[in-house]
Amino acid sequence: MAVQADPRLVAELETYGAQDVLKCYHCGNCTAVCPFSKEPFIFPRKSMRYLQMGLREKLKANLEPWLCYYCGECSEQCPREAEPGETMMSMRRWLTAQYDFTGISNLLYRSWWAELAGILLIALATGFGFWKFGTSVGDIHVYDGPNAFLPSSAIHAFDWTMATILGTFLLVNCVRMWWMTMGKDPRTRATPGMYVHRLGQLLLHFFTQKRYSECDKKAPWRLHIVLMLSYVTMLVLIMFFLPVVQAGPAINWWAHALGYAASAGLIVTVAMALVGRIRKSQTHYKHSHETDWIFLAMLLYVAVTGVLQHALHRLGHPYAANITYLAHLMGVVPMLVLEVPFSKWAHMCYRPLAMYFAALQIDVMEAREAGAVPETRTA
Amino acid sequence: MDNQKIGVYVCNCGTNIKKVVDCDEVAAKALEQDGVVCAKSYKYMCSNPGQEMIIKDIKEQGLDRVVVSACSPRMHEATFRGALAKAGLNPYFLEMANIREQCSWVHVDPRAATDKASDLTRGAVRRVVHHEALEKRFVDMCPATLVIGGGITGLTAALELAESGNQVYLVEQSDRLGGNLANVDLTAPYLDSARDLIRERILRATRNPNITVFMNAKVESLDGYVGNFRARIAADGETVPVEIGSVVVATGYKPFDASRVKAFGHGTNPNVITSFEFEAMLRKGRIVTGQGRPPRYVTVIHCVGSRSEEFHPYCSRVCCMTALKYGQEIKAALPDAFVYDLYIDMHAFGKGCEDFYKQASEIRTIFMMFQKNTAPQIVAAGPKDDCEMFLRVDDKLSGEEVDIPTDLIVLMVGMEAREDSGEVARLVNISRDKDGWFIESHPKLDPVATTTDGVYIAGCCQSPKDINESVAQARAATARIMAKIAKGRIEVDAVFAEVNQDDCSGCRVCNDLCPYGAIDFDPEAKRSNVISAMCKACGACVTACPSAAIKGRHFTDEQIFAQIEGVL
Repeated sequence: MAVQADPRLVAELETYGAQDVLKCYHCGNCTAVCPFSKEPFIFPRKSMRYLQMGLREKLKANLEPWLCYYCGECSEQCPREAEPGETMMSMRRWLTAQYDFTGISNLLYRSWWAELAGILLIALATGFGFWKFGTSVGDIHVYDGPNAFLPSSAIHAFDWTMATILGTFLLVNCVRMWWMTMGKDPRTRATPGMYVHRLGQLLLHFFTQKRYSECDKKAPWRLHIVLMLSYVTMLVLIMFFLPVVQAGPAINWWAHALGYAASAGLIVTVAMALVGRIRKSQTHYKHSHETDWIFLAMLLYVAVTGVLQHALHRLGHPYAANITYLAHLMGVVPMLVLEVPFSKWAHMCYRPLAMYFAALQIDVMEAREAGAVPETRTA
Repeated sequence: MDNQKIGVYVCNCGTNIKKVVDCDEVAAKALEQDGVVCAKSYKYMCSNPGQEMIIKDIKEQGLDRVVVSACSPRMHEATFRGALAKAGLNPYFLEMANIREQCSWVHVDPRAATDKASDLTRGAVRRVVHHEALEKRFVDMCPATLVIGGGITGLTAALELAESGNQVYLVEQSDRLGGNLANVDLTAPYLDSARDLIRERILRATRNPNITVFMNAKVESLDGYVGNFRARIAADGETVPVEIGSVVVATGYKPFDASRVKAFGHGTNPNVITSFEFEAMLRKGRIVTGQGRPPRYVTVIHCVGSRSEEFHPYCSRVCCMTALKYGQEIKAALPDAFVYDLYIDMHAFGKGCEDFYKQASEIRTIFMMFQKNTAPQIVAAGPKDDCEMFLRVDDKLSGEEVDIPTDLIVLMVGMEAREDSGEVARLVNISRDKDGWFIESHPKLDPVATTTDGVYIAGCCQSPKDINESVAQARAATARIMAKIAKGRIEVDAVFAEVNQDDCSGCRVCNDLCPYGAIDFDPEAKRSNVISAMCKACGACVTACPSAAIKGRHFTDEQIFAQIEGVL
């Protein structure tokens, strides 16, 4: 069955950060040098080809961009400077937008001013809402205890509400990802038994990024795991132990020790990534999409304001601490709302899912070869 | 003859001969032959000390015949003839016995090989007795040249010769100069205008008083031999006889007829055009579909007629870069158009070409690789599609069958030998290969000369090539001609066939037999004559002559029989 080519797809991907895609002449050096390129997922050459040809549906069903960690060896080896690594990166952005049913992702990736406007809008709404709420239930000069400006119980409830809403969006997008990569094509349909059997893969990759550690270059994985563990630690503390972390005046040292370590981890790793991108010190830092800058800036802002409000509180400046807390929330809410279901942070689900699905596709293929799953019809 | 003094020199060729043949024994046996006064075995006979030894013996012992048992005469006959000449002896008093290629290299048994070497040497000794003193001859060199073909190659050759002060007759079959290049817009890879290249040359050629241009003309006949040809040029209803010393054949090529590839429907589908038709559009500065609209999608298909089992197996060499050039020209004229480039293999050899290929990618040409011996299929577009048609391509690089939107298809037609190439070959007495291209004397070492002395081939009549190569060949041919003109006369080998006029019956058997056209028939005397300057001494006429009237100089019957007797 012939597939129709769309020569406009390359230009579309370029708005997601793809560079020089048409320079590729398919020598295959990138694919030979990639430590992850193994049957049946041979990349990045074939993905480059789908993109050059404009085979939109093929690209949508493609898991390969998620199997790449952008160590940059492919781009370094490319004799045509076609930047296959950056192309894979742009495909991840594009796929994120394809999985997203709201179209928000598409807007955020293709227009940096739309993203900034969205951040600003949500930040102002958050600030206004919490100001109204804070002044109605408490006193801006009180940080904790009764009459607190932003009582931890209320924030806690707000966090869970937001988590539920964002989680729902992300879940729907994950289901869409499943449909595009696994469900739609009868040739990639796995049995329920296979899904159960491979579930361990999903958890393993979600928590350890084991595959990332298998890149020839180890430094990016180290930075990423520290960043991710710091973030998860902070998330667990906030989602489950907010009354302990936020409330005073007594100090729960265990929680705070974890909080300090996580904050330090976040600030250091984000600063390193920023410096790397500014200096273009490594191949994967050479090209930065607007969303990369915004993401890092937001994360740094959130981490710094979080530490600052805590410090101000401890130093006995409740008014300043409350204002900083408000500023912190004005950063953290838009960051999570935009990043988690619609942008970069969605990869925390898509990557482990892709590895899970990839393992399943291999199972299906092997089963079909063994004659266990008859091929019903082609899409 | 009995008092001849023969010297025999057995070369060891390092160990090449000696490891199988007992050279000392061969020399000792040779010394037993009648007339042999000295026989020596030496490490390298062709070396300076080896040659000095021969020269010294000739002078001191008064040798008048020399036999060298060594390698093939093709290797060192000229060397030893030179030694004889140095010693004051006629160089044709030499005979070589080949005991390397025909003995030591092909045999393993030393006893038998040594005996064979002795036999071959004996044959040479018997033969050399009958050798005659031969003198080299010289013929005059006419400085005028006939150039056939007025394309870039012919014009270059004509200008090169004329501007060095020599007369040139330039014969062009059509009514204008410039050849195929005159139909081209820009040239790859530097995007220079072909018009500028060719126009400047045409102006210079038509203004040069040393060049006589014949338009709508044809060479009717060519007779004579190197340095002394006579041609008859038919132009404007009259025939002009000219005398020339050399001929440059620069008849070029013919574009492949795209309608022969049925799958593309060239000739019936107005949106399928050839590269030359597209060049005409580019020259007009207006790229349009058959419907008269500027195309949104242009597809360029390589290797139409080339590299195919059905048509021509060879590569036409210029189409790849021309196709890339179209990407540049289309994008310059229609920046929003998409250009698909469908190729089998990209041949980007030559200076600047790999960079040109890269540039084509940079300007967003979309490349697709299809299978050799297959043709992409045209598929009709639906009413909602924004293209005239789709082209279904089995894309090798993705493994997918892909439909690409297309408004205009440009077929990169290859080059093929002209229909009249056989006629031209017969006219100037040169050969053609299986594809109809003229054959050069040596593909690497003598690329513009032919088997007929004084006739040179240059440009695409020899095989497909680009402008640079064609111009280089034109200049190579003129360099060869000017070297001959500078010498003023041509040395003719002393070895050739001679017709004894008294014995010749005028039967003309030999006339058509001669592969070099070297035999002339005198209708008045009714006798055949060998033109020694053209004779290559192949001996075909000698053996064929029913009256035994033809003698091959240096290959006389008595020489050959004596050699056979000696071997036996």
